[in-house]
Amino acid sequence: MIWLTWRQFRWQAISGAAILAVLAIVLGATGPGLATRYDQIGLPSCHAMCAALAQQFINELEFGTYGKLFYAGLVVMYLAPGLIGIFWGAPLISREFEHGTHRLAWSQSVTRTRWALGKLGFTWLVSVATVGLLALAITWWASPIDHALNYPQPSPRFDRLAPLVFGARGVAPLGYAAFAFALGVTAGVLIRRTVPAMAVTLVIFAGVQVVMPQLVRPHLIPPVQATAPFNANAADELAINTSGKGPATMTLVGNFSKPGALILSNQTITPSGRVFDGPPARVCLSNSAPPEACSNWLNSLHLRQLISYQPASRFWPLQGAETGIYLVLAAGLGGLCTWQIRRRRA
Amino acid sequence: MIWLAWRQFRAQAIVASAALVAVAMALLGTGPHLVSLFDSSGLATCQSGCGTDAGNFINQVKGSTTELIFYGGVFLVYAVPALIGLFWGAPLVAREFEAGTFRLAWSQSVTRARWIAVKLGLICLAGMATAGLLSLMTAWWASPLYQAAQKAGQNSLSINRLAPPLFGATGVAPIGYAAFGFVLGVTIGVLIRRTLPAMAVTLAIFAVIQIFWPTVVRPHLIPPVRSVQALSTANFDGITTLSGGQFVLSVTSVSGLPGGWFISSQPITAAGHAITTSPACVSKNNFIACLADHGVKLAVRYQPASRYWAFQWLDTGIFLVLGAGLGALCYWRVRRLS
Repeated sequence: MIWLTWRQFRWQAISGAAILAVLAIVLGATGPGLATRYDQIGLPSCHAMCAALAQQFINELEFGTYGKLFYAGLVVMYLAPGLIGIFWGAPLISREFEHGTHRLAWSQSVTRTRWALGKLGFTWLVSVATVGLLALAITWWASPIDHALNYPQPSPRFDRLAPLVFGARGVAPLGYAAFAFALGVTAGVLIRRTVPAMAVTLVIFAGVQVVMPQLVRPHLIPPVQATAPFNANAADELAINTSGKGPATMTLVGNFSKPGALILSNQTITPSGRVFDGPPARVCLSNSAPPEACSNWLNSLHLRQLISYQPASRFWPLQGAETGIYLVLAAGLGGLCTWQIRRRRA
Repeated sequence: MIWLAWRQFRAQAIVASAALVAVAMALLGTGPHLVSLFDSSGLATCQSGCGTDAGNFINQVKGSTTELIFYGGVFLVYAVPALIGLFWGAPLVAREFEAGTFRLAWSQSVTRARWIAVKLGLICLAGMATAGLLSLMTAWWASPLYQAAQKAGQNSLSINRLAPPLFGATGVAPIGYAAFGFVLGVTIGVLIRRTLPAMAVTLAIFAVIQIFWPTVVRPHLIPPVRSVQALSTANFDGITTLSGGQFVLSVTSVSGLPGGWFISSQPITAAGHAITTSPACVSKNNFIACLADHGVKLAVRYQPASRYWAFQWLDTGIFLVLGAGLGALCYWRVRRLS
């Protein structure tokens, strides 16, 4: 069964290996240069001013080739599981149905269950291994940049927990690949036509990948709640909204600095506990009052910040939880596939 | 032949219509919120000096779901031509070869030429219409953001519709990309004659073209304007000083040239020679002011914002012509095959 699976999977494996090789060459050619630059700038052994050095390192790279390669690495890591689900997963069984070759395959001495498990298992392992190698290579390449990005930054968007980076590092891509592959095979078994199965896999996988970071991941581990007094002089955002219909409202967002944390919500509340939204006092709306007058009035209200966040230290627990969920989903889908194949009356 | 083309295309047409309706509903549901933010920011009535209002407006949008929807829309408009090439183009003829049904189709009274011409033409039109509608819907939704960028003047708030990330997702360019992607898919399908490899090759070629076009070809379609600007007018996103007095400046925008697409910038001495080292200034606190005192100016090559529609029509036209060329190749190949 292994030989048969390999023989049917040969071309996809070869093209996958070729793409991996090209990527490895690109990463291998540019990686050492990046690491050298990281050492030159003094970050590995820095004791003071590390954040400023890190910022300088990032600034240097952001608009050059290394910056573009970093973004490309993120894109590749997010696309790879989806492409594997579409091109390796969906056609696996559906191609047999479409051409009628399942009748030949199922009338051999190998039982249907063994046939299904053999095909699924072998190709699933190869898929996960491919994405694993890719994740390893890209994480190795980007490690200087990742280290620098995890120092305190003025506007962090790419630290480890940030939605854009989280799914492209660690073990999460393995879970995505496992799930995407299983999803593709299931779609193929249920729909029995290759191209529609590919389309359905794409849509469902894209949907899950969009919903997961927004709705599920922040709550995998109950977030940490923190309060802090609101200081109008150091706020992130102090806006007065005048829509002309009804009284003006204010939007206040205080400053909360926790390097590497994923801030889920940051609300400014009054002492009685409700969210403060104005109305702004006269000193805030008039053009003749000094700018500190508005801040002083806000500070006199004794507002507090209510922050809900995931600390940076939870990176690996969150990775583990998310990968676990995807692996369980993949196993469930694999079981569904096998059961469906056994049930079909050809 | 038209009925046959429709009958074979029916499922894909239904899926595309359903997707368009879903996107339309999502945009309609979230559009009014963006419009109300825009109205309450005072930008609608602002005539000049709107920079701070525009900045406040964008700050409210940043980090919220609205920003996510904006970038999601941009991603969608880039993805749709690729998906059209992949799911409509590649299987069109390759599926017939794989299943052997081409023998039935080509032994009818309709000539092969007519068969391929009608299939290509009708579905290409459908693809162009899909991409065009999507571009229109996202442009309508995002119009407050683009208006704010225009009124901001100075630095367009990093919403620059002429520069690569946003250019291909606005205006009429997606129509050209969709037509080209579709015909590329059909051609690869005719040449390879197996659906799955045709889909993979189409995706690879289309992705490579879309990545290299904005950086290698498009900046030179119309010769860039050269101009020498004072350092004080430029906004830098990165000022890097390396050892040995070397420095690197990356320009994002220049006040006085709002909305421009900056292709390259080079600091030059008063005499006009390019310089990359300035030992005298590297250690100073106000690096740019020190350079300016030494008479250093900035020589930029850029495309002015007024050329947006020229580039849009150029891009669309070139991709339509490429698509037509590939279509002719298809046509000729199908007629010659046995």
